[in-house]
Amino acid sequence: MIVNKEKLNEHLVLHIEGRLDTTQSDGFEKEITEILDQGHDKVILDCTGLNYISSSGLRIFLIIQKKMMASGGQFKVCNLQPAIKEIFDMSGFSMIFNIFPDLDAALKA
Amino acid sequence: MIIAFGFFPVLLFLLCLFLLDSFKLVSVRWLVACLAWGIVSAMLAYVVNTAFVAYTGVGYDALTRYVAPVSEEIIKVLFLFFLVARRQIGFMIDAAIYGFAIGTGFALAENSWYYLQLGADFNVVLAIVRGFGTAIMHGGVVAICAIILMEGVQRSNAAFTGAVVGVLAAIVLHSAFNHFVFNPLLMTMIILVTLPAVFYVVFFYATKHLQNWLEVEFSNEVDMLRMIRMGQFRDTKAGHYLATLKEHFRSEVLVDMYCFFSLYLELSIKAKRNLLLKESGFPVIMEPDIKDKLREWKTLRRQIGKSGEMALWPLVRMNHRELWELNQLNA
Repeated sequence: MIVNKEKLNEHLVLHIEGRLDTTQSDGFEKEITEILDQGHDKVILDCTGLNYISSSGLRIFLIIQKKMMASGGQFKVCNLQPAIKEIFDMSGFSMIFNIFPDLDAALKA
Repeated sequence: MIIAFGFFPVLLFLLCLFLLDSFKLVSVRWLVACLAWGIVSAMLAYVVNTAFVAYTGVGYDALTRYVAPVSEEIIKVLFLFFLVARRQIGFMIDAAIYGFAIGTGFALAENSWYYLQLGADFNVVLAIVRGFGTAIMHGGVVAICAIILMEGVQRSNAAFTGAVVGVLAAIVLHSAFNHFVFNPLLMTMIILVTLPAVFYVVFFYATKHLQNWLEVEFSNEVDMLRMIRMGQFRDTKAGHYLATLKEHFRSEVLVDMYCFFSLYLELSIKAKRNLLLKESGFPVIMEPDIKDKLREWKTLRRQIGKSGEMALWPLVRMNHRELWELNQLNA
């Protein structure tokens, strides 16, 4: 799992790449927690390179959402691949997260 | 103040167990019902034990060592069986907490009785032994029974064995405690050291098991449902298998089996989503049509019958956990 950080306007954009499953989730959670603890209030997760997500991965999305909500910040998700977007839609997680089709839409919203 | 030693340790222990339930499997409503049953079972056990003494003339030692453990544990665990039958318990974690709650209710009633009976003689040492030792033993043995029971329920065809072994374990442990082989204060110390360790190990492994179950099942079910929705189900192994059933079932039953399977996947994914939401501290989502879909699924289950359900076993088995999971959507 690769995480690249980028600061765009007042947003912190995290470009993630790879699979988000049990084996990857612990490391990803640690990395994300360290980033969020630095005190960013607008975070966008760019999922262009995310090609698989399991329940462990969804749990981390929920952790980020909860942390951001608790600190009064914003958490947006963009560029979900169709197969991943379908998982969110089928399971109803689309109702929980702010999902945008691309990075531009997420930045403007 | 002294009476507090008799009540609070066991309530505090129960609260700790409740807080350890990271997936929020336990419903507060059923937890209160367990506490209430514990109180009722103490009263019932008192009546049974008193009647037994009156009829048999058995002495105090035999009563506390051999008779009371049997009558009290059997009465206490009846509510556990009811909860399992109602599919209100899914894992060892909630089973242990409900079990401990029953024992807590029992201990609260018993300690109140002792307090009222002994009055000024209910001293600090007695309060500590009864509050930290006996009360936690009452909760602990029912919790251990519940853990063994769930281990049996989760294995096919082992529910009865789990129930028998669980009840026997509770009786033996209760009886061993009442033998007072060691000094009561030492017994209390042993309980205070061993029980939290047992619960920690059970909760740790049960949580791992739950996470693994979620991980594997969620992904499989999502993949399968996606295939169904994309019209590619017939190209999968599961689709091929369903096609072979054409020779054995009427076409309308086959359609119902297909709908039953796809609706199960949809509902199961939503139930697992709600578990993940609860674990992360979010409120669960109940789609407006979820109850209708559950009703539809139950109707389909009736229509395909036992033979249809058994034919679908290679694809989905309606075991205790699957039914418990769907039951969570009905809460």
